[in-house]
This record gives sequence, structure tokens and C-alpha cells, in this order.
Amino acid sequence: MPAAVSIKNLDKFYGDFQALRDVSLTVTEGEKVVICGPSGSGKSTLIRCINRLEEHQAGSIDVLGTVLDDNTGHIDAIRREVGMVFQNFNLFPHMTILENCVLAPMLVRKTPRAEAEEMAMHFLKKVHIPEQAMKYPGELSGGQQQRVAIARALCMKPKIMLFDEPTSALDPEMISEVLDVMVSLAREGMTMICVTHEMGFARQVADKVIFMDRGQIIETNPPTEFFDNPQHDRTKTFLSQVLAH
Amino acid sequence: MTDIALAPPSLDLRHMVRRKLFPTPLSGLVSLIGIALISWLAWALIRWAILDAVFFGTPDECKQAAGACWAVITTRWRLMFFGLYPYDEHWRSAFGCLTLIAVIVLSCIPWFWTALRISVLWVVSFTIFVVLMRGGLFGLSVITEDKWGGLALSIFIFAGTSLLGMPLAIMLALLRRSPLPLVAKLSGLFIDTVRSLPLITILFTVAILLPIIVPGLAGTKITRVICGMAVFFAAYQAEIIRSGIQSLPVGQEEAAKALGLNYWQRTRKIILPQAFRRALPPTVSQFAISFKEVALVIVIGIFDFLASGNAAYGSGDWAFAYVEVYAFMAFVYFIFVFSLSRYGAYLERRMRVGK
Amino acid sequence: MFQSRKTNAFLIQAVIGLVVVAALVLFVRYAQRSLEAQNMTSGFAFLWRSTGWDVGFSLIPYTINDPYWRVILVGILNTLFLGLIGLALATIIGIIVGALRTSVNPVMSFLGTLYVESIRNVPMILQAFFWYAVFTHLPPPRQSIDLGGMMFLSARGIFVPWLNVSTFAAGFAGVAFGCAVLLALTFSLLPRRSLFQRTLYPKLSRLALLGGILFAAAVLFFGRNTDGLFQLPQLKGLNFTGGLRVSPEFAALLTAMSLYGGAFLGEIIRAGFLSVNRGQIEAAHALGLSGWHVFTRVRLPLALRAVLPTLTNQYVWLIKATTLGIAVGFSDFFLVISTSINQSGQTLELIAILMAGFLVINNVLAGVMNFINARIKLRGTQLRI
Repeated sequence: MPAAVSIKNLDKFYGDFQALRDVSLTVTEGEKVVICGPSGSGKSTLIRCINRLEEHQAGSIDVLGTVLDDNTGHIDAIRREVGMVFQNFNLFPHMTILENCVLAPMLVRKTPRAEAEEMAMHFLKKVHIPEQAMKYPGELSGGQQQRVAIARALCMKPKIMLFDEPTSALDPEMISEVLDVMVSLAREGMTMICVTHEMGFARQVADKVIFMDRGQIIETNPPTEFFDNPQHDRTKTFLSQVLAH
Repeated sequence: MTDIALAPPSLDLRHMVRRKLFPTPLSGLVSLIGIALISWLAWALIRWAILDAVFFGTPDECKQAAGACWAVITTRWRLMFFGLYPYDEHWRSAFGCLTLIAVIVLSCIPWFWTALRISVLWVVSFTIFVVLMRGGLFGLSVITEDKWGGLALSIFIFAGTSLLGMPLAIMLALLRRSPLPLVAKLSGLFIDTVRSLPLITILFTVAILLPIIVPGLAGTKITRVICGMAVFFAAYQAEIIRSGIQSLPVGQEEAAKALGLNYWQRTRKIILPQAFRRALPPTVSQFAISFKEVALVIVIGIFDFLASGNAAYGSGDWAFAYVEVYAFMAFVYFIFVFSLSRYGAYLERRMRVGK
Repeated sequence: MFQSRKTNAFLIQAVIGLVVVAALVLFVRYAQRSLEAQNMTSGFAFLWRSTGWDVGFSLIPYTINDPYWRVILVGILNTLFLGLIGLALATIIGIIVGALRTSVNPVMSFLGTLYVESIRNVPMILQAFFWYAVFTHLPPPRQSIDLGGMMFLSARGIFVPWLNVSTFAAGFAGVAFGCAVLLALTFSLLPRRSLFQRTLYPKLSRLALLGGILFAAAVLFFGRNTDGLFQLPQLKGLNFTGGLRVSPEFAALLTAMSLYGGAFLGEIIRAGFLSVNRGQIEAAHALGLSGWHVFTRVRLPLALRAVLPTLTNQYVWLIKATTLGIAVGFSDFFLVISTSINQSGQTLELIAILMAGFLVINNVLAGVMNFINARIKLRGTQLRI
């Protein structure tokens, strides 16, 4: 199967600080990858490099056959096929939910408004909040906002979905509503790369779980092996801290 | 998985320049045009202002030169700085000026930031200024206000405005926060009305119309002008102080009340000191604005720095040298106002870091 | 009785109220008596007296035989005219300067800073005097600076080509364009509850604007006078005839206002751009929106909403700054009032008119801006910004 995302020997620096060291990762189509690790390990940096929200200094990233470099044509093509969900939702506060969802399809894919709105309502129904379409983001709860963010990303019909700690900023009682949406998305065959601390989700959905620490990938394994049989000490320490509560 | 200690990518100057100035071809072109523009401007300015300029000489020598005619400044500087003040007594005007400038600089030092010290500083130096300029004591000849002029007069009006305006501002701010609704509304009405009027109209009213309307209460023109500007300053400063007071946690006033302090004690010891600290950056801004606004007095016929500058090139020989005169005046204002604003920005940064 | 705080408060306020009213009444009576003693009558009847003096610039026809109320109207119109054009130019300069200052390119950013710091720290009146000196030191009409044979810079003014149409056509075109703009604005502000409305209204808005421009152009074209649509300034003898004359006073004040206002607005707009949450910009980029779309659909709208109140204050200040007209001789509202006081002696009444005029202008401006602010501000309490 062709690789959806192919990362080879990636290095990223912030000034003198090295955030990613020689990271290599391949994600095939339809694969679900969960990345976990302590804060500062570079997990968010890694997925942000995939859609060029961060630039890498060495190594290569290939997304769906296109090389990711300074060429704006390549970057635009990749961003069209890669959707991202942020920790802080980042909905556009001056537009209604519906407008948030149809903006990119209309401007980037040139979809006519009627078709774009129909598609938006379809995805809003999928995330279970079609009735909020005319509201503004500030009027919705955190869990609802994040579900809208997922619907907004899906409206671009991406082939890959990136999740950057999607539930970390939510109150506990809203986490499950968002995770449910992500699980159903996974079941439909979407290629997903998720940075998250939700280990239950990882066990349920992931094809492989990656542990990162200090900019390096320490361990990669399918979930059962990963959780039941961690191989490195650092992985063991991390798991004992996260799974304790 | 080895811990390779790779060197960070080369961050030398060439690389930085390339990344910041030429990330895309269009950006690079824009950078080049910008650099060309700046260099050309800088070169033209240096040539005009320094290389080809005439620093001393007669108007004719100036007209023949290709560069700036700074001779107009070197010949007429006394007029611009001291106005029509008698020639022999210029030293008094100069000393008075320097005193006030020193005071303004000293006021920026935190050691002076208690009500007592700063009031003493300002009242003392203001008195020194008036005694020096007006004379009548210590054997100095009397020179009435109508002969004061130039930069010295501008600084005097600024100092007077600040000295009178600050206590007035505090009073207005406290009145607007009064628990008595009538008092609060009246002072609010006063502040809002003053703030919605242009300063020129207020100056015009106090300087020209007041003597006609109420001939008894006149006083000298300069006094009236300072009062008018002080009221205008106070209206704006009152709002700044009020924001400072409002930004204090409610608990401060409550704790003071619980300790049994009465209104004046609370206000003087707890509320105002803290409110002033918070309101310091916008206050410094307000002073900078106020200094610029002093220039408006030219409109009511007061011979301030701007007016004396106009007179310096006005008629006769130097009439062609208006650009140099305005450039010089702009430079003087720039030094004052820029320093004040930079100081205000510095204070703001310091306060944010402290938090 | 004097122990109760409520009663005390009431009594104190009653006393203060009486004192204030008494002081005002006494002041007005004293003023009136001194004015009468100097043979200055009171009352507003003078408004219908003819003035006997002329103004330098007027948008509506005005002669020295016209009454005082008309010259006051001329002053108000001049202030509004200068104010609105000045505000528009200052806003354009402000957006450019704000964009320069927030640019990633250090050269652009430096140019912006250079502009802002040189202009901001010098009093506006000094700049107005400077530009006035520049414009009045231009060569006399015979030796005026010729720009392409169409525009002439001289000490008598700047002469530009102007429309040569009948007054009726000009008025009709103006009104039609105004209506088209209002129509366009209405369509963009109407709520859009159905798909049909959401598809139609933006198109109607653009159509109205375009149609307005075309219609006005057509009216002007067909209403042109026999000697052609445009009137070029022609040098005849010592002066120019034809075309539009922009007086040095107006040019000087407009230049000073636009440059000075632009510097301050630039800083305000820059603060607005900086305050936009990085996350929203990243989300917009992640969705694949082009740089232009990210700027116009996300960055600019959010920056505008953040700074609207500060912008309002600055606009009010700029309108008040038109009073500098008295320094350069432009017949704005204030100059007209002060000349009227000089000539007619009706001091108190004219001051009252002056204050009322500025209060109205400022409150209307602030009211409009606050209305816009209320309509477009961000809704809801759950924003994570």
C-alpha cells in the first residue's frame, strides 16, 4: 500500500534547541497512529511539520506522494488533503458555525455555496450538532466547539486527519463526546495521526502507538504490545504515570 | 536511536539575511527597493543637511548654497528660544528653562514618586522659574509676561499646565467616583463635555472671550491660557486616573475600610498611590500629548516657540529658509516627545515584567 | 436626622445642586450685563442678519449678503468635508503603515517605524504650518509645476481636471451613487437566515455597488456640458480657469491631517493585527486558505473588531483637529464662528452654537461607530481567545 505520510530522518531546531532528532515514521493509508509522550517531547512539533505549520531543517517529509519543502504549490496541495484539529479548537469567532465550515471549501475548492452548505450540514449531523449551525463559536461549549472543528476539517474531504491533543483543553465530562466522534471517524477508514493522552482511545482505535521523548521516537508498537509489554524504561515510566489515574 | 548531537543549521549572517529579506522572489524585490529607497533618502539627507549646508553666514551666502541654510538658526536662535525677552537678560530665561527641564527629568526618577516629594520639587522649581523670569527680587529687573516668548515660554506653559492640571485631575477623578450620584453625574458631564471640545476652542474662549464676557475676572492672558490648558489636561488625565482606580482589586478598598480608615486616609494612602502606579504609562503618554498641544497657543496670539519660529524666517531676508526653521523646530519637539514616549514604553515593559 | 447616611446624602446633593444652578445663573446674568454694557446685544435674531464678509472656501453658494445662519452652515459643511476626506485618507495610510509595521520583512518594518516615529512626535499644528509654507511657496501660476499637462501645482492652489457637467446631472449622479452605496450596505448587513439569502445577498450587494458606479458614470457622461466631459485647467493670463482649485489652505490641512492621523491609526491597526490569536491564523492556513484569504477573511476582520473602540476615539480626535483651520486660514466651523464673534459681537450665542455643534458632530460619529461595533462584535462567552 502506498504511504500516506513518509518521514525520513527529520531534524527540527528552534534556534539552538533541537526539538526533533532523526525522526523517521511511515503511515500507510487508512492507518491510525497515536503518538504519546511527556510534554516537550516533540509530538506536537512532529505533526505540525506534516502540514508545514512548522519547518524542518533536515530530513524529508512526503505526504501523499508530494514532497514537503519551501515550494508553496506543494504546501498548498498538501494542506488541501490534510485536515487538522487543534487543542484550542481555533474556530473563527466572527463567523457562524456554518460559515466556519463552508469557508474553505468555497474559497479553496471553489465549491458553490449550496453544495458546500449541504456538505457542511452532513458533517455537522455526523458530529451530532446540526442544530447549532447558525450559532457563533462563543455560544457553544468546549466539547461542541471541538466537534465543530472536526466537522470543519472534514468539509475539505481530507485524506489524512491530524489531531493535536484534541481533548486536552476540555472539561472531563465533554471528552467522551469528542472521542466518540473520533472513534467513528476511525471506523470509517480515515488515516489518522493523533497526539493524545487518552490511552483508552489508543487501545480502541490505534494500529500503532508511538512513544516519543526529547525529540526522538523511543518505541513503536501495536497497542496491545505497547501497553502490556513496553520495552524501554522510559516508556514504562511514562505509562505508569499516565495510567495511574 | 542514537543520541546524535547534531549541530544546529548555520545561523550566520548570510543565512539570516537570505531567510528574512529574500524568502520569496517578490519579497526579495520589495526588500531591494526598500533598501534602495532608504539609502537614497539617507544620502540625500546627509548631503542636504550636512555636506552642502551653510552653518554660519548671511542670507545671500545661504541662497547660493545647494544645501540647508542652518545659518538662519545660528543667527536667529535667540529669538526662537527666548522670544522678545530683553537681550541682556537672556541668561535668566536660559536658567529658568534649564531648571524646568531638569525638573521634568528628575520627575522620572522613582525616588521622587511620593506626593510630598514631587509636589515640593515642582512648586520649588516653578517658583524659581517665575522669580528668574519675572524679576523684582534679588535685584533682578522686572520683565512682565508679555515679553516672555520662544521655547522658554512653551516650557513654562507646559509646566504650569502640569502643575495645575494634575491636582485638578485627581479631584475630578475622585468626584466622578463619588457615591453621591449627583456629584458623580455632574463631574462626569463636565469631563465628557471638555473632552468632546477641541482644545483650540477652549483656548480661544479663555484667552479672548473671557475678558469680554467677564471683564472683572481677567488676569493676564498667559494665566488664563494656563488655566484653560490645565482644565483640558485634567479632563483627560482624570479618566486615566479613574481607570487606574478601577483596575484595583475591590479588596483593597474593603480592607482599608475594615481597618477603620476614613475616606481621606484610604484615598491618600491606599487607593491613589496604587492607582497612580498602574496609570503611569498612559500618564506619561498624556504628558507627551500635552507638550505637543502647547504649540496651539500660537492661534490665540501667544509668542511661543512655534510663533517665534515663524517670526524667525517670517519676513525679510530669511523668508526662503522656512524648511530649515521648521525642521529644527520639529527636531526640538521630537527630542522632548520621543524621550517621553520611550520612557512611557519602558515603564510599561517594566510593569508587565514585574507582574 | 443627621445621623442617617441616606438623608445626609440627599441633603448634601440638594445643596450642591442649588449651588451649581445658582452659580450658572449668576454667571450668565453677569456675562449678559457686561456684554450689554459693551453694546453687544443678545438673542439669536442676528442669525438672520447678513454677514457682510466672505469665506475662502465653500461647498454651497455663498455671498456676503447671506445671513449668519448660512455662513455657519458653510463652516459646518467645510469641517465635515475636510473631516471625512481626512479620515478616509488617514485610514488608508494607517492600514498601509500598520501592514508595514507588522511585516516579517525587516526593511518594510523599518520604513513603517521611520514614518510613524517622525510624524508622531511633532505637533500637528507645526506640520500644518510647514505644509502651508510648502504649498504657498510653490511658483506663481505662470511658472507652475506641470504634471502631464493635466495637473498644475502653483502658489494659488493645486489645479486638477474636474468634471464639466450640468449641476442637475452632478446632483443626480451623486444622489444615485449614494443610494447605491446605502443599498449595498443594507444587503451586506441584513441577517441571512436561509441558504437563498446567503447566496443572494452578497451578489446583490456587489451588484448594487457596481450598478451604482456605472449608472452614475452614465449620468455624468450624458449630462456633460457641450465642451467635453472633463474640464482641464487652462492658464489664462495670470491665473488658471477651469478645472478644480484645491486651495493651499485646504491642501495643507488635509496633508497634515492624513499624515498625522495615518501615523496614529497605523499604530492602532498594528496593535489590532498583533492581537489576533495565532491559533486562528494557523487554522486558516491548515485549511489551505491562500495568504490573501487568510488576511482578508480572518486576520483583518478580527483585528478590526479588536480595535474599533480605540479607532472611534482617534476618529473623534481627528474631527476635532479640523479646528486647526484657523491656523492656516481654512474656513472651518471654528474659524467661521470666531470671525462671526469678531464681526457681530454675539459672543455667548455663538459660543453656545460652537459647543453644541461639536457635541453633536462628536456624538453622532461616536454613535455610528458604536452601532457598528455592537453589530459586528464577537458573540458568546465561551471564546478561547
